[in-house]
Amino acid sequence: MAWRLYALELSHLEGPGSGEALSGATVWGAEEGHPASFHPLEEPWEARRARPVPWPEPLYFVDGRERVEALISDGRRLVLLGCVAAGAVVFAQGAMRLLEPRVRRVGVGLEEALHLGDLVYEPLPLEGSKGPEDLLTALQEGLRRARAHLEEGLAGTLTGGLLVVDGPVRLRREGPVLGYIKTHWAHYLPEDKEALLPLLKPGERTPMFRVRREGQELASWYLRLPLPPEGVRPPESGLLRVETPLQGDLGALADLSLSLFPALASHPVKDPRAPQNLLPVGGLERELARRMGSREVVARILARHLGGG
Amino acid sequence: MERIGVVLGRREATPLEFWVGVEGEGLLRLDDLVVVEGFHPKVGKVRYFGMVDLVAKAHEGERFDTDVFLAVGGKIPVSLAYVAHVSVTRIVPEEFFPPDPGSPVYLARGEDLGLALYYDAMKNQRGSTRLPVGFLKNGEVAYLNLEFLNGVKGGHVNISGISGVAAKTSYATFLLKSLLESGVLEEAHQARVLLFNVKGEDLLFLDKPNLRLSEEAKEEYHRLGPPPTPFGSVRFLAPPKKGGEGILPDVETRLEGVKAYHWDLVQFAKKGLLPFLFTDKGALTNLGFLVAQVTEKLRRLAEGQKGPHLLVADWPAGELPEEVTFDDLGRVRLKSFPDLVRYLEYKLLGPETGEGEGDKTWTARQARGTLEAFIRRLRSSVENVGHLVRGDRKGNPPDPLEGGEQVHVVDLAKLSPQAQMFVVGSLLSDLFAKKERGQYRGRVFVVLDELNKYAPRDEESPIKDVLLDIAERGRSLGVILIGAQQTASEVERRVVGNAAIRVVGRLDAAEAERPEYRYLPTSFRQRALILPQGMVILHQPEIPVPLLVRFPFPAWATKREEVLEDNSAEALRREFF
Repeated sequence: MAWRLYALELSHLEGPGSGEALSGATVWGAEEGHPASFHPLEEPWEARRARPVPWPEPLYFVDGRERVEALISDGRRLVLLGCVAAGAVVFAQGAMRLLEPRVRRVGVGLEEALHLGDLVYEPLPLEGSKGPEDLLTALQEGLRRARAHLEEGLAGTLTGGLLVVDGPVRLRREGPVLGYIKTHWAHYLPEDKEALLPLLKPGERTPMFRVRREGQELASWYLRLPLPPEGVRPPESGLLRVETPLQGDLGALADLSLSLFPALASHPVKDPRAPQNLLPVGGLERELARRMGSREVVARILARHLGGG
Repeated sequence: MERIGVVLGRREATPLEFWVGVEGEGLLRLDDLVVVEGFHPKVGKVRYFGMVDLVAKAHEGERFDTDVFLAVGGKIPVSLAYVAHVSVTRIVPEEFFPPDPGSPVYLARGEDLGLALYYDAMKNQRGSTRLPVGFLKNGEVAYLNLEFLNGVKGGHVNISGISGVAAKTSYATFLLKSLLESGVLEEAHQARVLLFNVKGEDLLFLDKPNLRLSEEAKEEYHRLGPPPTPFGSVRFLAPPKKGGEGILPDVETRLEGVKAYHWDLVQFAKKGLLPFLFTDKGALTNLGFLVAQVTEKLRRLAEGQKGPHLLVADWPAGELPEEVTFDDLGRVRLKSFPDLVRYLEYKLLGPETGEGEGDKTWTARQARGTLEAFIRRLRSSVENVGHLVRGDRKGNPPDPLEGGEQVHVVDLAKLSPQAQMFVVGSLLSDLFAKKERGQYRGRVFVVLDELNKYAPRDEESPIKDVLLDIAERGRSLGVILIGAQQTASEVERRVVGNAAIRVVGRLDAAEAERPEYRYLPTSFRQRALILPQGMVILHQPEIPVPLLVRFPFPAWATKREEVLEDNSAEALRREFF
């Protein structure tokens, strides 16, 4: 099988924090949270505060990254080579520690492993349509699924304590899980209830309401993160939607989230995605990027072994 | 071999320097010695020895300085990087290719440490020439190659440091102790030491045990080599007290065992010591000629005389001052230094009445202004050296090559600067002349502090000439100068430059930046500002890096209060009978 390099980048498809938009902007099915099927879990509908509580230990944050490394072609089809990584940080005894991240290189559309120098790309079958229009999207979707799979595998190994994941809660786990959504494409609240969101002050949350997704029953709420300088700001900024499976002591988790997320909000000076991109997760993302290796070096290896198209 | 880390790959590794990442619980400090093994199929195994000259820790994963607060608060994950920069001191075999990043790095101990610091090369056909000079930071003994000190391959020691905390004198005396008693110097019993005591009376107790010497310090002496005892064979000389007829040494804290030294007029004339009273001979061009002329005249005058007074036959009775008398042969007897000055005044300028001129055979056609300048200077020196140059009793000048004692301590502390110059210049020129004539076989070590006074960079003086002579030719004659000064930048370059061994105690910040200390790597220059007492930085020609050396507490007293009194019956009996 003679592969040649087709392109090293999918520039038009890549934004900052690839996969970011996808995880937050999942296209909802009809059964999911929807203003029409709104069901509050707490009454009355007004902003809520909570007293600070100590963080549970261990406290895990899991996140993943993906990176397109090349498009290659053997004259008949395109294959996307990419790198996915997932990692966790754990808070225990007052310090954030990194756990050993997992890094895999995958070739979406490959049928057998591809060895290029020190790099090994594992085969990953391509699902979905093969039309030229959707091909790139399908390839990217394959890469995204590889990342999600890696994240879930990693999260499965973390026992005890509380797990915080970036994005919607998809995995099943013994013990509490919190997912947080940074960007809000979908509306979960009817208009009269949504009026509460702009009124939320930093450190306040809405009451919980129910969300259904893919057969999962979830509790969800919005909270406002601190965003310096305080004062004038658009109503959407600093909002985080948090969700957790509908089990256990939900109220305590919702109150705990007010002690947790505002304290970990990032600062706009240091992070363009502040405040929703949480501090430990930002650190974890940088670490993952490092573990994926230098993009330049990978590109050189690929170019050396595959040449041009 | 204790593995301490690996060679870093993020920064370039070169054959002469590389970075090390310290792993796990490893401890790597400044001055630690490490060894790395490299391999290349065409060359085989190569070992790199080096010294750590920079260590740093940093948080990786922080992008902003303020991130450290987040890391401390447990909000972001960081990893600690602990890295060290190594300057290579030696490559065995000498194949200059870089070590591979990722190569394991080991602490150099024992034999490896010896290789790193070239201890294995410190020997000659007769045996080891490793002179113990203190302890390294890791507790091992630091050596220097004696052949670079005693004149075989190089000679002289130069010690710099601010006064009071740099321990220049303490280190010089410790070095002497090691030289004389560690058994490395051949024929050490024949070596002689001339020590000038320039301030206080710290060196007047070299032969007394120090009562503050702890058991640990004694143990350290045993590990180094020389015994933890005071100097056994010392002679103390101090200038006589001014005024009065008797000759009593002018010392305050030490009451026994100090003798007074002085020259008599005949010795003064015969040895030609007059120039050492003129420390500014550059001030007037012609003055130098005149000084040389008068010195020569005095030398001839003293020929055949026994002293202590000087007899002159050409001073007519009419011109004599009151207290000067004739002897039975009709010659005038000069009985003191002021008499000599008056006589010279008469010979150069003529009678005091101002009528007539000086003796033309003495004036050497010099202009009257020069003659007057000469006499003015001579007169002003009467107060300073009148008690050192006398005509009333036989001279007893210090002579480190005479007598049975090995160490001669000559006290200068109470003398005026001019008299100090005179004593140092006279002694050194005399010593050097004797060694040139081959009158003494053994080596002579001269310890002189305040070099910036005796050999200033931008002035001329006869003492400076003597010191330059010693610095440039002394090592072949076996005269070794252990010089010290507060600021090497103000000492004649050739005096400092000829010292093969350089020692630095605590330095002043401005001084440390001067070019004289450029041979020290930056980390050492920075540390020279904060060196504690008892630590010095020692540089020697064979080792490309300086060593930070700690030397033990002196086993001899450095002041009256430290003297350990010997009250045994035996000692008391010796004292009374």
